[in-house]
Amino acid sequence: MTIFIIQLLNSFFYAAVLFLIAAGLSLIYGVMRIVNLAHGSLYALGAYVSAWVVGGTVGHAASGTLGLAGLLLLLPVGAVAVAVVGAVIEPTLLRPLYRRPEEYHLLITFGLLMILEDAMKFLFGGTPLTAGSIMDHMGSIPIGRLLYPTYNLFVIAIGLIAALGLWWIIYRTKFGVILRATSQDRRMAAALGLNVSRVYVQAFAIGCFMAGLGGAVVVPAQAAVLGMGIEALILAFVVVVIGGLGSLEGALVGALIVGLVRTAGIQFFPEIELAVLYLIAMAVLLIRPTGLFGRA
Amino acid sequence: MTQQQLNRRNFLNSLGITVGAAAATSVPAIAPAVAQVARSPKGNIPSTPLKFGHMTFLTGPAAVLGDPSLKGHILAAEEINAQGGILGKRKIETITADENAGTDANVKELRRMKLSEKIDMFTGVISSGNTPALGPVAEELGLLTIFVDGCTDFLWDKAVPNPKFTFRITNIQSADGVTCAVAAAQTWPTAKKIAHIHPDYSYGRNAFDHFMIAYKKMVPGAEVVSEGWPKLGTTDFTAHITKTISSNPDLIMSSVWGGDYVALYKQALRYGMFNNAKFASTIAFGVAPHAIGKDHPEGVIAGVHSNYYFTFPPGNRWPANKTFVEKYFKRWIEYPNFQSDGAYHTLHMYRTAVEKANGLVGGWPDEEAIISQLEGMYFETAAGYLYIRPDNHQGYKDAVTGFSKNVAEYPFQILDPGRMITIPIRNITAPPNWPKPGTSHNDPTSTYNWIKETWPQEVA
Repeated sequence: MTIFIIQLLNSFFYAAVLFLIAAGLSLIYGVMRIVNLAHGSLYALGAYVSAWVVGGTVGHAASGTLGLAGLLLLLPVGAVAVAVVGAVIEPTLLRPLYRRPEEYHLLITFGLLMILEDAMKFLFGGTPLTAGSIMDHMGSIPIGRLLYPTYNLFVIAIGLIAALGLWWIIYRTKFGVILRATSQDRRMAAALGLNVSRVYVQAFAIGCFMAGLGGAVVVPAQAAVLGMGIEALILAFVVVVIGGLGSLEGALVGALIVGLVRTAGIQFFPEIELAVLYLIAMAVLLIRPTGLFGRA
Repeated sequence: MTQQQLNRRNFLNSLGITVGAAAATSVPAIAPAVAQVARSPKGNIPSTPLKFGHMTFLTGPAAVLGDPSLKGHILAAEEINAQGGILGKRKIETITADENAGTDANVKELRRMKLSEKIDMFTGVISSGNTPALGPVAEELGLLTIFVDGCTDFLWDKAVPNPKFTFRITNIQSADGVTCAVAAAQTWPTAKKIAHIHPDYSYGRNAFDHFMIAYKKMVPGAEVVSEGWPKLGTTDFTAHITKTISSNPDLIMSSVWGGDYVALYKQALRYGMFNNAKFASTIAFGVAPHAIGKDHPEGVIAGVHSNYYFTFPPGNRWPANKTFVEKYFKRWIEYPNFQSDGAYHTLHMYRTAVEKANGLVGGWPDEEAIISQLEGMYFETAAGYLYIRPDNHQGYKDAVTGFSKNVAEYPFQILDPGRMITIPIRNITAPPNWPKPGTSHNDPTSTYNWIKETWPQEVA
């Protein structure tokens, strides 16, 4: 029973991080119809920046004066940095290509992926960066005879808050109405006097913020390592294939399915751990090609 | 069977294992070969530069190993060039290729480097997925090649069973699992319930197979209670850790490496994975030494790919290591790992072979003459003596592993200098001409079959 509870929490933790990444990917596609192949690398950038700040001299100073609170306040720096990078990328690299076919979007975002991967290796080096002090401060709680890291519960909570927050922004605010209107018909939205360019920058920056936040919250638990972005991108695609690209609910349900199925695979079928996720994605593609919540 | 019923202590003694700071190579130290005064070359040496192709991971997760490899290569090339080049005339020019491009692209790149860049020599390569694809192509092109790593047994067992142009400098992969098993059986002989966490590709499978075949011989009744096969590049190990703990193992064995390993041990600490079980790894400390924090658990078997750790053999016993570490640190402001050692000595070994061949034939020696000098070469490296076996062109040196410990001198955790374990390589690897897989047996490797057939079975 203890094992079951902890494995369930492990799945939620994994799903929370995946949701943050996949929701950003889906949001950007939903509004701008761009499949952002650099999304995973933006997630990695968030992880590296947060690890660099929290694990570096700034982190030591903050930890000395404010303790855990100081470190937690520094953690979102990675997410904000990635949002700023997004706000620069959209008008300079993506905007000139909206009228071009999709292949151009894939090419430019793939190029961006390569540049970001190299830039991160150049800036932060090949050695993994860590920000474990946050987890050391928070400790572990006993569940039965086993331990569970308190910080992981915090990440699950962040995932939930982010899901609720995004839902609220998209369905309950004026900005959300504008986003959805732009998403449905860009030209009509422009004709009605909306500043579509501004909406695009905002949507892209929010999507990037979500990716960066995913990286920022994962880094105290794991480490910022080379290649983590590519890994995350593939998993985020599995999530949106299952949930439906462009759908917020899809990202949430897809992330939960991937988290639970992966854990079940590890626990019961270790030999085919690699395959189970792709088998699920394949089954969904065969039965519902647009994903569980996708629009045709 | 009476002869087979050796007890473990006698058997371990027969392997010639040494533990502790006193252990060094079995050969007394002599003046380093690299420090010997070079004879003036015979005959007319052209001054055209030598073109080297060095392929390693420049991007992606494995760049954490690719970086030290390239740094070792560059350091050696700079040293040789500062002395005027090989035979005092031919300076080394290196073109690099990113191994991360994938096996097919790497094979094309190797052909391109030989055919259009006209490289004289090919080195590097980290992944065991790539050497078996590149080896046959290098043979076909007649391109002299010394692989730094990509140490799978499969390369010489199956892919290139009769090598002519290809060599490899780091220890063969099966030595990794066997070394780990010997160290664990010697240290914790009562550990019977074994849990495994390995990356799901050839390296992890090889470590699992060879650890178990050797360990079961020495610890009767040992059984696998849990298996985890994370994808290479995974950083979330929470579910693997929970599963491992839930199986109540005596010993957890892992071959997860690089950034993956850093992520694994950080998570395992918070789940208390190291509290109730022993831990043994083939390659935990094989990545750049400074990647391992002081929070890493102490007293675990933290392998170094059974090849090299920068504090061993200690400088006062083995000056070649002291010199190498000092030069490497001065150039790169970090400590070398086994890839640095391999890439660095690849160039010096090549240079030595060329110098010897020149002494015999004069002028710039052709490939055949250089190969004849590489085969059977007994060469001094930072890690100890290295022997290039003529039958399979594989480099062999005593396998090494150790226990993790925090010391004040270094800002990261190191291997306990007082408890280093070395095992003569010939005692844990199949001898020349042992049947290869697919001939008289279908075991994973020659060494696996050799252990299965010849090691005594300890009885309970």
